[in-house]
Amino acid sequence: MGLFDEQIKEVRAFIDEVRASGALRELEAAGAGDWPQRSSLVLEEDTALELGNPKIASLSVLLWTEESDLADGRVLLTGPDVAESTAPSLPFAQVLLAKGRFPNEYDSYRDLRDAVYDTHMEGLSVRTMPSKQTLWCRVSRDALSSGLSLVHLGAEYIDALKQVPGVTAAEALFVTSSAADVAKLSRAASGAQRLVDAMMKMYQEQNFDCETCEYQDVCDTVMDLKKIRKKLADGKAVQG
Amino acid sequence: MILAVCGKGGVGKTTVSAVGARALASRGVRSLVVDADPAGGLAMALDIEPKKTLNDIRKELIAEIKAGQRDERDLAVSVDYLVAEALTEKGGIAFLAIGRPEDVGCYCKVNVILKDAIEGLGSMFDAVLIDAEAGIEQVNRKVMGSVDYVLLVSDTSAKAVRVAETIKGVADKMVAGEGAALLVNRFRDESEVERVRSETSLDVIGSIPEDDTVRTFDAGGTSFFDLPDCPASEAIDKALTQAGLFA
Repeated sequence: MGLFDEQIKEVRAFIDEVRASGALRELEAAGAGDWPQRSSLVLEEDTALELGNPKIASLSVLLWTEESDLADGRVLLTGPDVAESTAPSLPFAQVLLAKGRFPNEYDSYRDLRDAVYDTHMEGLSVRTMPSKQTLWCRVSRDALSSGLSLVHLGAEYIDALKQVPGVTAAEALFVTSSAADVAKLSRAASGAQRLVDAMMKMYQEQNFDCETCEYQDVCDTVMDLKKIRKKLADGKAVQG
Repeated sequence: MILAVCGKGGVGKTTVSAVGARALASRGVRSLVVDADPAGGLAMALDIEPKKTLNDIRKELIAEIKAGQRDERDLAVSVDYLVAEALTEKGGIAFLAIGRPEDVGCYCKVNVILKDAIEGLGSMFDAVLIDAEAGIEQVNRKVMGSVDYVLLVSDTSAKAVRVAETIKGVADKMVAGEGAALLVNRFRDESEVERVRSETSLDVIGSIPEDDTVRTFDAGGTSFFDLPDCPASEAIDKALTQAGLFA
């Protein structure tokens, strides 16, 4: 059992549904080619395309597993790639999956998250609001005319995740098809957020008064959170 | 280049900043203009309605901290998002307003994160122009530690020149850049400028004549982006050029 088994199952179900409808593109990160890595601030007047404006639809999720199978280096896309968009703004969901060994969940989470935060691409402004799981991107005119693709973005994320100790495989899913498709992933996203929040609380507060904790429901039902809680509580008892 | 326009209240800092914003826009310089005066006069002078202020962001961050489960890295990423959301783009410039602090309590962590975010944001522009709060408070609080040039604005009154000298004294200790000079505003007669020159140890970078065009724009609340060339705008442009803002 893994921390995000339920969420990964939901994401897989979404992928299967899109694949069955013939709307899924399965691409290889290895074929993306290099893209300059540099933090960018793309202003409105330089923007060719906006992705994930929260007024339309925006979602960002990071999940990891020790057991589920991942197709390493695969970038999945449903909807138009940036160069194919006829609209100035597209809904956007980004789901990143990493597989590996994560003996310390909290440190692993922070390493994986920071790898994502530290991914920068020239001509692409990426702004993240972790508490809302939103991701707002602007693609510059220059980047678009130079051939920037979501495969480049996926390849950069996959590469960054695989730099994290213990990670053996990584995969990226991007959704630009519709706000309704983005919404289909919101349950998995909010579930993952709640698990991460519960884990963060355990590590940061080291308070195991479960009766008063707002995360009691998830801790009681997700085996891996129970294990983390027990590990931390036992450690605290030894220290005490 | 980060240039801060400082001085006593009522000497015309906001007019200088507004004309500076117009000059940056007309030259096509990738620039950030910051209204650091809680009164928000520069937003009005440029007819900009900020989407949100830095103080709104501060409140949102405090709420995030109170909600828990967000570490410093998450907060830093959040503030980048919120600051980008707060940028209002108009006439070719990006505009950010500080706003008026309303809440009480010490949130040093938030202030440090915000300061880092603003410095990071500034580094992504070729020019940053700050319309500072009147007096020395912002300079004194190291709010403008990364400023390269302090443009001290005064009218021809002895009191305004003394305040400018005081700000220069504080800036020498608190501000990273060494550039600083006095811009004398609203003179009616060249002899007034000569008197100021003779009475101050500050370098005088220029002087702005009393100008009816500026007065009319001010009184009518018309956007300074639409200000036609006039003696005052030409004098401000010349001083900012000399200070290196457009380099």
